[in-house]
Amino acid sequence: MNIPAGTIPTAKADKKIKINSELKTEFFRRYFRVVHGLFAVLILIQFLPDQLQTETYIFYVIWFAVGVEILTLILSAVIKKTASLNLFTDIVGFIYGLLIAWTLATAKFNLLKAALFPPPGKVFRQFINDYDKILVNIQSSVGIILQGYLLALIIAIPLGLFLGWNARLGSSATYISKFLGAIPPIVYIPYGIALLPTFKSVSVFVIFLATFWPVLSGTMSGVMNVEKKTIDSAKVLNVGKFTMLFSVILPASLQQIFIGCNQGLTVSFVLLTSAEMIGAQSGLGYYIKNYSDFGDYTRTIVGLIVVGIVIVIISFIFNSIQKYLLRWKQ
Amino acid sequence: MSKIEINHLTVDYTEKKKSFTALKDVSFSIEEGEFVSVIGSSGCGKSTLLSILEGINTPTDGEILINGEKIRGTGTDRGVVFQHYSLFPWMTARKNVAFGIKQVNHSASRSERYKIADEFLDKVGLEQFKNKYPSQLSGGMQQRVAIARALAMDTDILLMDEPFGAIDAKNRTILQELLLELWENATPRKTVVFVTHDIDEAILLSDKIVMMTANPGRVYRELKVPFDRPRNRSELVQTKEYNKFRNNLLSLFYSDIADKIGGEEVVL
Repeated sequence: MNIPAGTIPTAKADKKIKINSELKTEFFRRYFRVVHGLFAVLILIQFLPDQLQTETYIFYVIWFAVGVEILTLILSAVIKKTASLNLFTDIVGFIYGLLIAWTLATAKFNLLKAALFPPPGKVFRQFINDYDKILVNIQSSVGIILQGYLLALIIAIPLGLFLGWNARLGSSATYISKFLGAIPPIVYIPYGIALLPTFKSVSVFVIFLATFWPVLSGTMSGVMNVEKKTIDSAKVLNVGKFTMLFSVILPASLQQIFIGCNQGLTVSFVLLTSAEMIGAQSGLGYYIKNYSDFGDYTRTIVGLIVVGIVIVIISFIFNSIQKYLLRWKQ
Repeated sequence: MSKIEINHLTVDYTEKKKSFTALKDVSFSIEEGEFVSVIGSSGCGKSTLLSILEGINTPTDGEILINGEKIRGTGTDRGVVFQHYSLFPWMTARKNVAFGIKQVNHSASRSERYKIADEFLDKVGLEQFKNKYPSQLSGGMQQRVAIARALAMDTDILLMDEPFGAIDAKNRTILQELLLELWENATPRKTVVFVTHDIDEAILLSDKIVMMTANPGRVYRELKVPFDRPRNRSELVQTKEYNKFRNNLLSLFYSDIADKIGGEEVVL
């Protein structure tokens, strides 16, 4: 009986305390984050006295921040991976920081030109008031992009497969597409205007060209870089030409094709918004340009934010599709 | 008439303006339902020979007849298992097998193909892994899928190019026994041409061993393997006959190498 009485229960209790403290740190790690401090700061500064003569609509900012904060807390409980949670709260933290700086520089200290830089509350309010108008413009821009883009994919991918698979045509087509693809698509606009009836059809045409060449080149180089072993294992299965192209060569070169598609998408957006700023009667570029012409910088900023959001959503969808189609890669 | 007749096959390669002869006047024949191993050191042209049988390469001279007909390109009468990359990485195990079935049996519906595929994946012990991609499977499992596909295609002839060459020793043993069992129990037995550099593997599996020699690639010896079937590895390796046959084969194998490097002085 060398062991003093009570040792075992103590060890058990120690373990319990240890588990408890682990749970506690896990709780702290999840819910006690800098981002929530930034939220508090953002809310508090809204109640500082305004320096602007006009209304600053602080409650729009507060409601927005509360909404984001609730979402953050829900996701803090739901998201399991620490890395994903960090990513999300870091982005939210950036948004809070931006809103803090924006509020202070405009409404509270009036450091910027009030006509050019409206306070955030005003922008949020405008966003809600212009909701339907913005949707129409998004529809117009995204519609044009999708038409030009999808048309280019439907033609460029099969053509690239065919040309890349044909050794002789493939090598000359590579050089030709390099040359033609190097011409910035914007220079085709005069021809588009001369040949096509509407702004919309010209835009679709230019986006088609902007997407067509990178996707064609990507597809051809993908096809030419398919490993001989992959082709051999299809050949010994005695596959037909169509199966070879679409069931073997296409998936094998998919990664390269996506590089071309991604490039086309980026260029398409830049082109379209620029074109809309010059010659359109609808679309997000038009929305921005039109209101900035009238000196309505609240709506201009609304437009800028919407363009950003639309691009983020589209690239998210694009990446999800890519991830799904390439899920077999590790 | 033999199932496969290889007549005076010669293959010259030209690489950087230098030509060399991979195969020179190779002739032998394979009977229906016979399991033939082609062994030899690297560079003896055994894989070149198989690629011509597969229909991927064409000979410079000579011909191969299957059922008396000269082969031109690939055909659905031959199923192939490579050492690597037999499977398509974007298809699951089941789809890989079903894809093979589709190429030989166009009339089967998708569900019929999946049913056959599952049956053969079951035979190679992979029923639980049928929805995995090749990248999620070990090398040994990938070769099981490749074998399942070749068998599910139900071709007369199976061509295997060092199928277990990249598998670790333990799994190689398991796969050899699996192949032996599947082949021995099938009726009618398929004609198999099996390329390897593993002498024990060749003895265990084959009815006949064709030993090749390099520079240029030629047939060095053809030997019948005199052991009864069904074979059992652990029983077989304990017999005197097996060891005698194996030693004989080894000495042939090394004497060939010794001839090449200069005869007597080389101690192995």
